Amino acid sequence: MKIVHLADSHLGFSGYNRLDEHGRNRMEERVYEGFDLAVEKIISLRPDAVVHAGDVFHHVRPKIRPLVVFQRGLQRLTDAGIPVIIISGNHDAPKSFSSSSPFLLFEGMKDVHIAQRYAYERFDLDDHAFHCIPFCLEPDEYLQEFGKIERSGRDVLVMHGLVESLRNKRLRTVGEHELKDSLLKRDFDYIALGHFHGQARVAENAWYSGSVEYFNFGEAGDQKGLLSVDLEDGEALSVEVRPKNMIDHPPVDCSGLSTEAIAEVLMELCDPQAVRDKLIRITLRNVSRAAFRRIDQVKLSRLGAEAIYLKVRPEFDDEKEERMERPADRFSLQQEFVDYLSQESREGRIAEAIRKEVAGYGSAVLEKAVAAKNTEVLDAPQ
Amino acid sequence: MAQEKIGGEFGAGILNKKSLTPENTTYRIISKSVSEYHFIVPFDLPDAERVEVGQIFSVKDYDQSSSRKLTFLARVLDVQHGSNYDGNWDTTIKGTQFFDRDQIFNRVIAEPLGCVRDGSFRKSRTIPTKFSPVSRAEQEEFQFLRQVMGDIEIGYLRNGSRLVEEIPVALHSDSMDHHMGVFATTGMGKSNFMKVFAASCMRLAARGKSKFGLLIVDPHGEYILGEGRKGTKGLVHLSRYSSSLACYSTDYKNCQMPQVEEFSISFSEIKPEDVALLYNWSPPQMDALEAISRTFDSDNWLDEIQDGEGLARMVREGFKESTIQVLVRRIKNLLEKNAYIKKRSSLPNILANLQNGNVVLVDIPRMSDRAELFLLSVLSRYVLEEYKKEASDGRKNCLITIEEAQRVLGQGSNTSRFESIAREGRKFGVGLCAITQQPKLIEKQLLSQFNTLVVMGLGDRNDRLQLEESAKQDLKSLDIEIQTLEKGEAVISTLGIPFPVPVSVHKYEHYLEHLKAEKAPEESLTSGPGFKPFLE
Ligand SMILES: Nc1ncnc2c1ncn2[C@@H]1O[C@H](COP(=O)(O)OP(=O)(O)OP(=O)(O)O)[C@@H](O)[C@H]1O
Ligand SMILES: [Mg+2]
Repeated sequence: MKIVHLADSHLGFSGYNRLDEHGRNRMEERVYEGFDLAVEKIISLRPDAVVHAGDVFHHVRPKIRPLVVFQRGLQRLTDAGIPVIIISGNHDAPKSFSSSSPFLLFEGMKDVHIAQRYAYERFDLDDHAFHCIPFCLEPDEYLQEFGKIERSGRDVLVMHGLVESLRNKRLRTVGEHELKDSLLKRDFDYIALGHFHGQARVAENAWYSGSVEYFNFGEAGDQKGLLSVDLEDGEALSVEVRPKNMIDHPPVDCSGLSTEAIAEVLMELCDPQAVRDKLIRITLRNVSRAAFRRIDQVKLSRLGAEAIYLKVRPEFDDEKEERMERPADRFSLQQEFVDYLSQESREGRIAEAIRKEVAGYGSAVLEKAVAAKNTEVLDAPQ
Repeated sequence: MAQEKIGGEFGAGILNKKSLTPENTTYRIISKSVSEYHFIVPFDLPDAERVEVGQIFSVKDYDQSSSRKLTFLARVLDVQHGSNYDGNWDTTIKGTQFFDRDQIFNRVIAEPLGCVRDGSFRKSRTIPTKFSPVSRAEQEEFQFLRQVMGDIEIGYLRNGSRLVEEIPVALHSDSMDHHMGVFATTGMGKSNFMKVFAASCMRLAARGKSKFGLLIVDPHGEYILGEGRKGTKGLVHLSRYSSSLACYSTDYKNCQMPQVEEFSISFSEIKPEDVALLYNWSPPQMDALEAISRTFDSDNWLDEIQDGEGLARMVREGFKESTIQVLVRRIKNLLEKNAYIKKRSSLPNILANLQNGNVVLVDIPRMSDRAELFLLSVLSRYVLEEYKKEASDGRKNCLITIEEAQRVLGQGSNTSRFESIAREGRKFGVGLCAITQQPKLIEKQLLSQFNTLVVMGLGDRNDRLQLEESAKQDLKSLDIEIQTLEKGEAVISTLGIPFPVPVSVHKYEHYLEHLKAEKAPEESLTSGPGFKPFLE
């Protein structure tokens, strides 16, 4: 049996504040396009089934658009005779039983199997059993749900969360759950994981497919796409959906460079052809503050007009500490906040006890604020 | 309790001998110093009132100038026959009786635990007034001992052979960055103690309050699920706190459980000095192994020695090519026998769990002694080296448990790894918990660095002597008590508790039930110090 494994489509994600000629967020449009491309790719691969390992939607209450895009994709896949298995992830699972899941809309579609009830579900396709553990409400429920699995002899496990051993490469989101490495048992033919946005093999038989899109610069080094998996021999092949559009240029040393010279560096890196539809970050090291200030900001922003996002990060030569100035995107706002607090506390400006409480309470509030901001006002309250 | 007047009527009593009752003359302090109290009790007490070693008595005294009450607490070390006569007059026969029953008594020798003054308990720097009344300590007096207890509960306070269930004994996790020792003759309850200790650590960790990670390497396969045939349970059964337990096993069956990960180490984590533990090498081979650790420092030493350049380096060190080839072949054979040596390694996860303050259980049943030492060596070196690196934010200390510790901490054992942890680990937050039946085999100097001693029944006098001589708190006086400890009973000497505590260690299976039924603390955003978000 051959399957395609994908995850983390995050339909509905928008960001970077660039609009297209219709006034739509360019990043958001790109995510939809990527999903359509992925569907096309999958159909061309003719697998026996598709597994989406969580976070189909970026929001618990998606707008109409992402729902439509997803519905269209599902229809195309099932029309092509490819059954689809989906689990909910930390982004698209409501955090309480009382709210309803966006996936309710798709339940009952022919050949679509969705695990979204915070509990283990098993779907049998061909000769394989697909054991699905969707997003659960409590972190310790994963062990318990896993305990319900009865092996059929030909088993695939589908889960969403951060595997313990990947913790260092933290994907910065709230509400993520850690999956113990002890769940990655050898006797599964394949383990399809979602949540981490890069393609990664975390055990002999366990993979993150990664997302199709690049969402933020933390992911600049990641490989992305789909995985085409042969369940007979467990081989997983990476399948590219679209070329990479994120460029995080290695830092440019600007010691002693004049305004003109810096401008030239930037012009060179931002050739309109090269930046088209890209997410670009340029880091300038040891820049003279005076020289940088004289760069024409209007022209600078025009440089990146073709890009989805262009960030120029100057690190001034008069700054004692090299402070990373990351774009404070909403996706990771609370993490920025928590990081900032730990730094302040390490340097003795905030007492540890206060840091803990502010971090705990504050990031919960921030998360709510971000979620509120990201929820369409037109959505009816649930 | 009525305020008793001290001294006044006593002189009168002596003059009017006939009216003297045992209540007037017994149960009073008669001597002797700040470190030892003596009082006398009737020699013919009924069974229920007999004084036992280990019982706790209270001495009521009061300060005349401020008329404040003082209560001294003391524990019985010994009970002796005594009389007011010199020589053998007390046993001389008078008529059909012994000479004079009035002048015969039992002398109780007790060790001061401390003194309660103004409601707080501390060590005493003085003695109670002579003839102060002594009585068995009561509930309210025991309550003061609660003040000195820590956060890792392990049992109840023992009063002689009785329990004081109201007073749980708990070690201080703050003092666990120092080494700890658990000593008992086989079958007296070392493993049971460790399971109780680990369970309390899991409970603390689950509440975000643990201060150290606990690493238990279990060569007998008894911690994970207990031993079915004995009806004992394991750490996995404490499912309520499973989030703070990380289990690794080399046992295929145990690895089937969702919470148990297959234990593995990768070749790059093995060093020549670990390999030295794996086999009875000849002296020339040992020399070669040492030379290898001096000459090669990469993760890939075994392959490097075999290529031309590496081999040439060993030859330059004065070894024959054939010796090296034999050695390499043997190393490879030995390592291949250990199926857990793989590409993947559990060590980074183990480390992360320790640094987060969790309990880590490495279950390695049915392994040979050498193979186990080898593994312990790789594991503990890895942990120590990682702890030597700069501490990350919120990193917790760790405590490495070693069963049958006399093998690695004994005089003349060639396992300097563990001694180096014992000597320098503390600086980096790595402590050892040595478990052994034979403390006499452990180097004295090392023992003297142990800050927590859990002494259970030890039959061998030399074992006791060794501990008594190196303990931070005076255990000598407790020799009799230690000799008479029964299964599950212990005397614990630890930082934070100002006297060696007599404990009845919980039976793990009972403690499990207790932990399961325990009410969870109220979770509150406003608890703890500092910032209070919802005050208005
Ligand atoms: N505090 C206790 N209360 C009741 N029973 C206990 C207690 N401690 C130990 N036991 C029982 O005594 C038996 C032996 O205990 P345990 O295995 O802990 O001893 P040990 O000192 O570790 O022995 P060994 O030297 O063989 O490892 C077990 O069956 C255990 O249940
Ligand atoms: Mg034991």
